[in-house]
Amino acid sequence: MHEWALADSVIEATSAALGERPPASLRSVIVVIGELQAIDREIFDFALKTLLEERPFAHAVYTLETEPATFLCTSCGAEWGLRDTRGLTDEAREAIHFLPEVGHAFIRCPACGSPDYRVKNGRGVHIKSISVDEGGAGV
Amino acid sequence: MIDPRGSVVARRLSGIARVVGFCSAKGGVGKTTCTAVAGVVLVRQGARVGILDLDLQGASTHILLGVEPRMPEEDRGIVPLTVEARLTLMSAAVFAGNRGLALRGPEVSDALLEMLAITQWGTLDYLLIDMPPGIGEEVLDLARLIPRIQAVVVSTPAAISVAVVERLLGVLKEMRVSVPGLIANAVRGSAETVRELAMRAGVPYAGEIPYDDGLEAATGSPESLAGTEVARAMEESLGRIRFT
Repeated sequence: MHEWALADSVIEATSAALGERPPASLRSVIVVIGELQAIDREIFDFALKTLLEERPFAHAVYTLETEPATFLCTSCGAEWGLRDTRGLTDEAREAIHFLPEVGHAFIRCPACGSPDYRVKNGRGVHIKSISVDEGGAGV
Repeated sequence: MIDPRGSVVARRLSGIARVVGFCSAKGGVGKTTCTAVAGVVLVRQGARVGILDLDLQGASTHILLGVEPRMPEEDRGIVPLTVEARLTLMSAAVFAGNRGLALRGPEVSDALLEMLAITQWGTLDYLLIDMPPGIGEEVLDLARLIPRIQAVVVSTPAAISVAVVERLLGVLKEMRVSVPGLIANAVRGSAETVRELAMRAGVPYAGEIPYDDGLEAATGSPESLAGTEVARAMEESLGRIRFT
């Protein structure tokens, strides 16, 4: 499952953000999962927990938040959500799951039909915040 | 917000001895052909080779190598498609098929970073990257994400190709990207213009690949590609290139 690769990247990025701080100082990490990539939360969560066992900050609390996917058409300015997108086949969804930019091969602006739009929110996985014990500061 | 993907790129590529981008600032000079043929030549020398097609909008390496796009298997990431023994391929065409991808700059960066972060290449002697033409996101991002990348630069002898490629060589030098070889491709007569460019730019000249009418017939078969005049000349060029 490629959720494992993404979970691995979250943990590696956490470690890099901690830098010289002691691993014990890590309290919590908020991970945002973009709706467009359709990550399997259960697998992602399991991968996070499993991979964390090998790390010195396994005690940290990882919270997953889902961000709805929205699009902004560069041609006509229309905004829409993934839920407004009709006719996505299972094959298209799987392709987008692996590589969200492939959405440009399958999704069109519902107002003008253009393939020239940008994903405004909810593309993929990123870290929203990392909290450490040093006077309540975040990274 | 922290994008976590960049933090694993080095580890994903840690089993790869050499990462080599086939670059040119000019389109249509034969980067894809050179990448694919270099792959089949190196495999026949016993090397384990991966090819990453980063020409997102013009992905065509799979056509040259005869690989039908299909969803990859997953194993803690995605597994590149097998072309033949010891040769694997990853390409945006795997996901998009023959549909066009209308991508702007940041999306190009996102796509290539995603592919680097989730593809499990395993152990390779070479990862050959088919770059799109130009000095855009792909070149700049790869130089940043893979500091050890080496660039084999491709030019035809035509004046417009040499002029544009000279600009690329200048940028690569400023970015401290190693250029172990400049190849003259699709040569019908003299390649002196490319040889002179190599001297001016201070990069090794790796020789010339002739224009080969037999290439089209070999498209779609690694075995046939390996038997072309292009492959014979590429073998000589690769022999001259001192990869680090």
